Amino acid sequence: MVRPHGGVLEGGQGRRAERASARGQVARPRTGVMSKLKIKGVEIIETFAEAFPMVGTRIIITAPTQKWALIAAQTMTGFATSVIACGAEAGIERLLTPDETLDGRPGVAVLLFAMETGKLQTQLRNRVGQCVLTSPGSACFAGLEDEKKLKLGASLRFFGDGWQMSKVIGGRRFWRIPVMDGEFVCEQTTGLTKKAVGGGNLLVLGRSHRAVLSACERAVKAIGEVPEVITPFPGGIVRSGSKVGSKYKGQIASTNDAYCPTLKGAVNTALPLNVEAVMEIVIDGLTAPAIALAMRVGIYAIAKGGASEGITHITAGNYGGNLGPHHFHLKEIIA
Amino acid sequence: MSALTFELRTEPAQRLDLSPLTPAGLAGMKPRNIQAIAIGTSRQALTVGDVFKLKGTDVAKLRFVGTDARCDFIGQGLTEGEITVDGDAGAYLGSKMRVGKIAVSGSVGPFAGASMRGGRIDIARNAGANAGGMAVGEAHGMRGGRLSIGGKAGALLGERMRRGLIIGRGGAGDYAAARMIAGTILVKGRIGRWAGYGLRRGSLILDKEPKELLPTFGDCGTLDFNWLRLLDLQFKANDSRFRVGYRARRLIGDMAVLGKGEMLILA
Repeated sequence: MVRPHGGVLEGGQGRRAERASARGQVARPRTGVMSKLKIKGVEIIETFAEAFPMVGTRIIITAPTQKWALIAAQTMTGFATSVIACGAEAGIERLLTPDETLDGRPGVAVLLFAMETGKLQTQLRNRVGQCVLTSPGSACFAGLEDEKKLKLGASLRFFGDGWQMSKVIGGRRFWRIPVMDGEFVCEQTTGLTKKAVGGGNLLVLGRSHRAVLSACERAVKAIGEVPEVITPFPGGIVRSGSKVGSKYKGQIASTNDAYCPTLKGAVNTALPLNVEAVMEIVIDGLTAPAIALAMRVGIYAIAKGGASEGITHITAGNYGGNLGPHHFHLKEIIA
Repeated sequence: MSALTFELRTEPAQRLDLSPLTPAGLAGMKPRNIQAIAIGTSRQALTVGDVFKLKGTDVAKLRFVGTDARCDFIGQGLTEGEITVDGDAGAYLGSKMRVGKIAVSGSVGPFAGASMRGGRIDIARNAGANAGGMAVGEAHGMRGGRLSIGGKAGALLGERMRRGLIIGRGGAGDYAAARMIAGTILVKGRIGRWAGYGLRRGSLILDKEPKELLPTFGDCGTLDFNWLRLLDLQFKANDSRFRVGYRARRLIGDMAVLGKGEMLILA
């Protein structure tokens, strides 16, 4: 994710202070910066995660076994960490038992997000077409009810080369596409929501790489239980948070130097000296309340081990409030 | 409010056209006006009041009691509400209906659900020829909805059907699914000759192999069909008595025409 600076640890310092003094003013600490909210000794920085509107959808993949449903879902959601270069952000929402799926087989719920409906449609078609249609025994169904629709089987049916058949069952249209292991059953459309939110995030600061990774793993696992959200990055964790722009022409994003522990002595750092590692958890969701719940669950899971485990701060990334309408204030989230 | 009930006084001397007696047609009418509706089909004028005793007031739910095979066009073109028939019904029951429900406790004549576009018809006993088929003057048979026949269906079940679901629990006559364009017909029990004649697309699902198979169907062998699971679970939700499983022998045809339909014989 592109992050200019994320949370600010020390108000009234760094570039803000320099600019203020150039104007003959004194920079004041940002509101609440020194309030020292803490959970089990882990400091929660009083800032906000700034998220942006996205379009999203959910599909249900089923297969003869949970293993193969998961393989299809993992393949489909591969290389879908960030819209910057992947075209979409996608992840597995949860596993489904046979009694939760339309065809009574084990399944997986997958969420897919993009910045525009057209791009989401393209990604959905390509990913289902290349990763689910190709997976042995798979079937694909709508996972979201909405008046607005995205084509699913409606575009993939052409793979059937004229041998595809449509069936309307219970008021829903399905396509039967003949394939080498039988038939690929795919629902005609799936719902589209324009109320999705991308970029909910938490930044975790700690005294050791091991401590931060362990806390983030715990948080990702806990967030995995929250419906309607995914953490699209590898294992749900980002280690290379970025800022907008670069010194190099054409590079739209570059490393978030303010949070790089190896640059603490060289840049306007956001890190105390004892912080050795920072990791970020990025959350995309079908709704803003789902993101807020996931962030809350994540914060408490990170802080579960307490400061003694090596976690020093939890903060969040924002663009100074200029990017999008969704501001998830950590103070309100943990309240 | 109790359902508006039409109780047959005596066996009519002529066939009756009951198509005006639908919830939409009767909405806002006073009982006196309902009794004056002409339903005769011969030179001898006949009104609702001459033939039926009326009870109840709720026109959204109509009930016919003691009707017989001469009571034609019950629920024709139905666009809303429910109709219950305690007895038999004549020809064209629910033909061209779009929305609503019709339930018949007895048997019905030909053209039940012919060219219907939506809604649901449940017939407890037998249905005559052309059930779910083409109504006179129509280019296609059933185009949507669900037609369930508890007993035997006559010949030409679902002829030129284009969409929807027909369930026959007591077998069917000759030419089942003839010239069918799309949709699904499920028949349990014995089926007559020339099933799937001229089948273009669509599925004719049988629980046993017909005695005579058209030579213009190609055998694909016995396979698993995931879409049958969808159908099965749909039945489980709506009709607990019916099961199709997910394995069937597929015969593809009719190769004499488009040849993209199928006859599935449940394994």
